Amino acid sequence: MRTVKKPETYDAIIIGSGMTGGWAAKELTEKGLKVLVLEAGRPIEPDRDYVEHVPITEMKFRGMANRQETLKDQPIQRTCYACDEWASKFFVNDTENPYTTDPAKPFAWIRGRQVGGKSIMWARQSYRWSDLDFEANVRDGMGADWPIRYADIEPWYNYVEDFAGITGQAEGLSQLPDGHFLPPMEMNCAEIAVKEAMARQFGRERVMTIGRAAVLTRTHNGRAACHYCGPCHRGCITRSYFSSVNATLPVAEKTGRLTLRPYSVVHSLIFDPQTRRVSGVRVIDGQTHKAMEFQGRIIFVCASALESTRILLNSATPEFSTGLGNSSGVLGKNLMDHIMGGGADGIIPGFLDRVQFGKRPNGIYVPRFRNVSSKEKNFLRGYAYQGQAEREGWERGIHESGFGASFKNSLRKPGPWRMTFHGFGECLPNPANFVEIDKERVDAWGVPVLKIHCEWRDNEKALLHDMMVQAAEMLTTAGAVEIHPFKQNNPPGLTIHEMGTARMGADPKKSVLNAHNQAHDVKNLFLPDGACMVSSSCVNPSLTYMALTARACDYAVSQMKKGEL
Amino acid sequence: MERREALRLMGAASVFSVLSSDLIAATLRAQLAANKAGTLRTLSPAQNEIVVTMSDLIIPATGTPGAKAAKVNEFIDLILTDWATDEEKKIFLEGLAEADRRANALFGHGFATAPANEQAAIVQAFDEELAASRNEKLPKQMRSWELTLVLPFFAQMRRLTLVGYYTSPIGQDQELKVEIIPGALHGCVPEEPEVKQ
Repeated sequence: MRTVKKPETYDAIIIGSGMTGGWAAKELTEKGLKVLVLEAGRPIEPDRDYVEHVPITEMKFRGMANRQETLKDQPIQRTCYACDEWASKFFVNDTENPYTTDPAKPFAWIRGRQVGGKSIMWARQSYRWSDLDFEANVRDGMGADWPIRYADIEPWYNYVEDFAGITGQAEGLSQLPDGHFLPPMEMNCAEIAVKEAMARQFGRERVMTIGRAAVLTRTHNGRAACHYCGPCHRGCITRSYFSSVNATLPVAEKTGRLTLRPYSVVHSLIFDPQTRRVSGVRVIDGQTHKAMEFQGRIIFVCASALESTRILLNSATPEFSTGLGNSSGVLGKNLMDHIMGGGADGIIPGFLDRVQFGKRPNGIYVPRFRNVSSKEKNFLRGYAYQGQAEREGWERGIHESGFGASFKNSLRKPGPWRMTFHGFGECLPNPANFVEIDKERVDAWGVPVLKIHCEWRDNEKALLHDMMVQAAEMLTTAGAVEIHPFKQNNPPGLTIHEMGTARMGADPKKSVLNAHNQAHDVKNLFLPDGACMVSSSCVNPSLTYMALTARACDYAVSQMKKGEL
Repeated sequence: MERREALRLMGAASVFSVLSSDLIAATLRAQLAANKAGTLRTLSPAQNEIVVTMSDLIIPATGTPGAKAAKVNEFIDLILTDWATDEEKKIFLEGLAEADRRANALFGHGFATAPANEQAAIVQAFDEELAASRNEKLPKQMRSWELTLVLPFFAQMRRLTLVGYYTSPIGQDQELKVEIIPGALHGCVPEEPEVKQ
């Protein structure tokens, strides 16, 4: 992709090239705009950078990670499961990219600064939200109302699914609307047994379905079907899973209207008080540290929820002294993430002559069943489970006794089937969970950093407990043995579904963005990424970010054509 | 053929059945061969002898080569040198000395030079002590970044021997017959005969 040396004026500037930046690049270039994408990190060349097929035999620490180096450079990133010995290069250096918290209230901010952002390492789970989610705040009074409903976003779910390619099974559930699915992946023997046992016990109340994932189960839009090598978060040379590098940016590039500039660390936006618009972007070159500016008619901030909010906070002006577009005072507030780490695992007896062939880059999913038709006494909202069954590998020998030839022979074949349920719970919006600029610290490029104030509260903790108890109950129902309930103490952020802090809303006094992700205060400024979220649902958010971005782009261009922008 | 080019063709034309993934794996292995491990940096020759012997007792040669052939000792030396903390390294080296002390006390010579049945008796004792010291199974949920070797010596030895063996080319290709690119997904198929694409 082309890079530029001299500042130029563009129809649109997009900050960030990840999930939402990639979509904005595709949509805006396809609609005829001349677009500049500013990416803080380095370029990604799949041939050079993807490592999904590098065997463990080639890794220096054989999968045990470069512990000494990551302890020094990535003490926070290394706590993410995907930041493994292969993929740690896709995660930021924590010393170059600091942020601060109260030491007693840690927040795990997991970030990817490169072309493609976190869309390279994401877990690809792709689900639609429903009106159970969009009406949640107004129904129980926690947080402000969404300015949209499912009917507003449904055509855009269709649109992004048709391009991205989502594998899944239609189930006809109101709390988890079906999409335009590619053929589903198969469940394995033990999962089928658990699904059937759950159906006998719980009927339609608790349904286990195969995961819905942005992975191609057949050739789709010129991209190849999955070859089931497994570790998608290390890249995909056949472009079989959706990322901006694999899917949206190549389409944008093909229009001839895309300029992608890596190593472009955005410092802040330039607000023109005469026109009441943002006229451009202040950038620090990531390599030379030289300051520069770029001009654009419209600006899409797609830097990830907290980076986008950080840019607005760092763009304060005399008029907007607490952050650009913050006449409402809610910018930075209502930070959310999904609470995870509650669940259970157990052995499913039988099927010892059967195996799963191929490494499925997807699991099973149990849609939310709490507070759907029931009304729970102990908590609001609910949670969903992801999970999988797999036969245990040679690793089980680490915790067993014995040695010698018979021990070795016993480890050659896979062990019993172990089924695991992991809950993901909704986080209530709470203005006391917030971010602000830490005036004492800057990052490696001199940009003031965030101070993050966030903690789990009683409702999230109650969900975490219930997801552990109910997972164990479902395993019991399925006849599992050696059931092991668990409840991890994960800091917020680690689920990497951080969202909110620049919420949408119909009322400019209570929200930063309108129903089309346009800043109430600054008409040519759009934030379609996770910053815009008003509530968190318990459903994985990326597909919703994609749909909101495509929708916002359509609105922005229609407004430009009408002369409103 | 370059691996990447092969995969691109496979992706573009869906010709998995034509192109053998074994061929690609062989190319990868050839690249690996150029990347050999160097000399030992932490283990002394005497300590190395104990590690080689003990690891090969845990995972011996059977129908396939064992830990010695897989150079598990070199992996353990790497972990002790570039991965472990001083505390973890101290426990491990002290454990090797303990193996020698026990061999001398029981049989009147060092561990590495003892006959195989005497070595096995000492490893058996270490293994039984470890089993007895485990109150409960270690949690399966332990995440990789939380991995610690602040463990009894023989727990370290077991873990490092198994990891070193099963992640070696011998362990992956000959013992486990790992396929990097299965090319298809079948949820529930008979274990034998193997499904091949």
